Amino acid sequence: MLTVESLNKTYVSQGSDTPALVDINLSIAEGEFLCLLGPSGCGKSTLLKIIAGLIPATSGRIAINGKAVSGPGPERAVVFQDYALFPWMTVRDNVEFGLEARKLPVAERREVSSRLLKVVGLSDFAERFPHQLSGGMKQRVSIARALAVDPALLLMDEPFGALDAQTRQLLQDELLRIWREYRKTVVFVTHSIEEAIYLSDRIVVMTARPGRVKQIVMVPEPRPRDMASVDMNQRQREVRAVLGEEIARAAALEEADLMAGA
Amino acid sequence: MADVSFAKNVVDEVAAEERIAAVSQRRWPGRDRWLGISTIVAFIVIWEIVYRLGLMPTWAFPSPWKVVLAFQELIANGKLLTNTAASVGRQITGVFFAALVGIPAGLALGASPTARAAFLPLCRLLYPIPGIAWIPLAILWFGVGFTSTVFVIFFSGIWSIMFNTMTGVQTLSGQYTEVAKVYLASRSLYTRRILIPGSLPYIITGMRLTYGVGWRVIVGAEMISSITGLGFLIDDARWQLRPDIMICGMITIAMIGWVSENWFFDWVEEKTIVRWGMRTT
Ligand SMILES: Nc1ncnc2c1ncn2[C@@H]1O[C@H](COP(=O)(O)OP(=O)(O)OP(=O)(O)O)[C@@H](O)[C@H]1O
Ligand SMILES: [Mg+2]
Repeated sequence: MLTVESLNKTYVSQGSDTPALVDINLSIAEGEFLCLLGPSGCGKSTLLKIIAGLIPATSGRIAINGKAVSGPGPERAVVFQDYALFPWMTVRDNVEFGLEARKLPVAERREVSSRLLKVVGLSDFAERFPHQLSGGMKQRVSIARALAVDPALLLMDEPFGALDAQTRQLLQDELLRIWREYRKTVVFVTHSIEEAIYLSDRIVVMTARPGRVKQIVMVPEPRPRDMASVDMNQRQREVRAVLGEEIARAAALEEADLMAGA
Repeated sequence: MADVSFAKNVVDEVAAEERIAAVSQRRWPGRDRWLGISTIVAFIVIWEIVYRLGLMPTWAFPSPWKVVLAFQELIANGKLLTNTAASVGRQITGVFFAALVGIPAGLALGASPTARAAFLPLCRLLYPIPGIAWIPLAILWFGVGFTSTVFVIFFSGIWSIMFNTMTGVQTLSGQYTEVAKVYLASRSLYTRRILIPGSLPYIITGMRLTYGVGWRVIVGAEMISSITGLGFLIDDARWQLRPDIMICGMITIAMIGWVSENWFFDWVEEKTIVRWGMRTT
């Protein structure tokens, strides 16, 4: 459903070029749950934003169902790490924002937002403002806002990165339930190996900056997955070995940057 | 698990309530309030003492009580009401037009580097001209009266609202724009639902300043270019040798300015940015 072909991205700023992504090739099937895993600064957010159509690629091609895309589209929605809710809108208005942009009549919007707030368990909070919610609740609103426009492709950039462990676990399970129920294709950015293994069908492990695809790991285990099982432990060790090298390289790069800066 | 998020939510709510309480407490803490009132009382007492000791000529320096009597007189003959209405009418008209032009102009300047490059130099050149300096020109163009005073208020006040709105747009988080793009929001929806409410903290501050500047300039303008209004009332009292009436006019100006600046705009803030948890102090 989504293909990324020889994609490159170089940030140009004040004479110095930063290569962020080099020759990315991916193909994501309809209904697949795919994780992008990599060390900090390897270009995960960049790749996700390019797929979302928020920033242009330097070269390469993104196609959805065979059609090249450049720019955002109605079949994609994004969930950001820091929620990006509008503080001046009630929870309900936030959820309805995409529908408002689509000029849906108020009654229909109401119907959709009521249904989705129920799905994420926030029916009683519809008239609250975001600052009155906990982090987990805010991210639920953000997910409901994305689901409201009924996108085929859900792009999530470390959506649970700012949450505590329990809330995170809870939301992961909720996300899996929603993913199954609504048959979405999900691209999920994370830097947590456990999260990637728990959630995804396939994990794309990226190299340290500039980001390339280092390895693609399949996770065929049936859900719900038991993180304590022998198979899952084995898989975790595998991914950790692959990612470990890159994390070390990323750290070395960072240190070199620090030295250069000092 | 549900307990965890519920407990967190309660904590957040308490924090929010405490914030609101802190804000209102800052405005009216018991001790500070008494300190403020005592100073005002002391001021009036000293005024009375200066009067009794005859430190100033009595024809030019009325006692506080004479001012109270003058208030009574001005209320009875209706002059206070008509002149206050005239000033307030001009003030509101002038501020309204300043907002009508200043807010859209500020939004455009904030959103477009091209607009900034084109118009900021001219704005920076016009901005330092004191409102009062426009009065003679305003009289030449519009004659003595309503229009020229409104014009002066407009030109003195527009800068605060315009520059503040511009800053508000410039400091708005880029992430909101990304959300708008993701959901394919039109330009008008983006302006209405994101740009304006998102920069509202700055817009309200700008309106406060614009209102204050307008109210401070109106008296000067009315002294020169008007035959009604509180400025005129004060200036006219000069010819009648009635300093008590002058002070009545001054006190009225202070009261109306204080009430509208502190009460009205605080109310608007409570209804909007405080409610949204957007107050930045
Ligand atoms: N706007 C920009 N201009 C210049 N360089 C940028 C810009 N945004 C990102 N970069 C650089 O591109 C690289 C990839 O950034 P990106 O944010 O995509 O990484 P990431 O994998 O999402 O990192 P993290 O896990 O910390 O979120 C980084 O080296 C970063 O410094
Ligand atoms: Mg990132």
